[in-house]
Amino acid sequence: MEHSRQTEFTSNDGKDTRDTTLVVNGHFDGVVKKPSAALQSPATESGSHRSAASVSESWKEEHARSVEDNEVSLPSLAAAYTTILRGLGEDPHRQGLAKTPWRAATAMQFFTKGYQETIIDVLNDAIFDEDHDEMVIVKDIDVFSMCEHHLVPIIGKVHIGYLPNKRVLGLSKLARIVEIYSRRLQVQERLTKQIAVAITEALHPTGVGVIMEATHMCMVMRGVQKMNSKTITSTMLGVFREDPKTRDEFLTLVRS
Amino acid sequence: MRFGLDDDDDDAREELPALKARTCRTWKHDTRQARQRSIIGGSISIIMNGHCNGKASDVAVEQFHSSNAFPELSVKKAAHRNLQEGSRKEEEDQCRLPSMEAAYASILRELGEDVDRHGLLRTPLRAAKAMQFFTKGYHETVDDVLNDAIFDEGHDEMVIVKDIDMFSLCEHHLVPFFGKVHIGYIPNKKVVGLSKLARIVEIYSRRLQVQERLTKQIAVGLSEALKPRGVAVVIEAAHMCMVMRGVQKMNSRTVTSSMLGAYRDDPKTREEFLSLTQN
Repeated sequence: MEHSRQTEFTSNDGKDTRDTTLVVNGHFDGVVKKPSAALQSPATESGSHRSAASVSESWKEEHARSVEDNEVSLPSLAAAYTTILRGLGEDPHRQGLAKTPWRAATAMQFFTKGYQETIIDVLNDAIFDEDHDEMVIVKDIDVFSMCEHHLVPIIGKVHIGYLPNKRVLGLSKLARIVEIYSRRLQVQERLTKQIAVAITEALHPTGVGVIMEATHMCMVMRGVQKMNSKTITSTMLGVFREDPKTRDEFLTLVRS
Repeated sequence: MRFGLDDDDDDAREELPALKARTCRTWKHDTRQARQRSIIGGSISIIMNGHCNGKASDVAVEQFHSSNAFPELSVKKAAHRNLQEGSRKEEEDQCRLPSMEAAYASILRELGEDVDRHGLLRTPLRAAKAMQFFTKGYHETVDDVLNDAIFDEGHDEMVIVKDIDMFSLCEHHLVPFFGKVHIGYIPNKKVVGLSKLARIVEIYSRRLQVQERLTKQIAVGLSEALKPRGVAVVIEAAHMCMVMRGVQKMNSRTVTSSMLGAYRDDPKTREEFLSLTQN
């Protein structure tokens, strides 16, 4: 976790001189700062068609893959899968595999449907002014993602807690934020952070904590083949980061 | 003439002329040639998932199989097997890697990702290798794995190896399904090395599979190799194609079983197996 960047959180309406915005995976990489002129650091991937914009604007203006894009890509995706089936030595014409390229292509588009969705669509009308400033936790949110290194599933649970600052979010919207970011080619660390930062950006709460524990099929089905291994990542922002007691309360409530 | 029939395509099977034994060649050989030349001695060989689907001619085995109502093949003796097969296929894997890599790069592009970003730079290669690993069962045969681990013991009580972790790929969506396999058999004087049961599971599960067929292939592979009094295989698995997409039922599990020989005929034997594996 980038501690030095996260301390910017509490002063996020100040000018942030650290101006590297890394555009990764269709989203800013968790640098919280005020909207400013778009800057593209040399470290960013060139050729990305997701332009580097400031963090707080980026998720509002992100380019989403559309349903039409999906339909247009389907034939070439299916052709790629047919090549893969042949490359594995299977016979793409046998009955069980006849429509597999199309099914696999549609499935893969579903697994990356997070690229089609934007936070702003999901959140727009579910932020409510409540005079609540106690911790809100939604835990055991099932999460399914795809490892961007091997294109193999990641399966786990996410626990989210936040301390509202007079504004609360519809509870299912927390799960929807998880869906948007998880249904992409991901790295677990980045996924955890993206969820935390999106909630922060949307609500400006006093603090956000996100914990994810997941099983990576790339480690279970291949490679080291450790069946029972789990990877746990967390992101603590705001008061969750600064105050150990708050963090403790969150962790205790999540474990119980 | 139909090829690539599903296991349960009874009607089509009945339409075919009587099947006779055929030399079991590698499935690769089959797919190249057998579709044109798969009638041997009046039989039609149906190739599916790396194993031909013809009835064995050996009488004892035929009787064994006919009690299943499921004619499946025959893992023939190693004499018919090209033992160089394994290494030849591994070389072919290497040759095929570039085209698979290109296919994966195209997939990433079509999904809207940026193939040049740091995290995805070598993903096509890794994904292609991962997929080859997930289908490495095509390289292996039961004979190769079992050849020297069959022992003459005077044992005729049930032997069970349970909770064997299994990982396979759904042939319809190319998405994993995984779970546990429980295998039991009643030896007929010959026992097999215990890890070989797990290796048989590996051979058949590391392919593009359908859970029903996988269960049957494990049972039949074992019964062909050992000729025991009975074989029972139960698989309980979670299908990511149902959990991660489609109906999205997180906790659903699919259970399939295959009971051959004494397990099929005698309910008490079957019950004993089930109670020993379920607790």
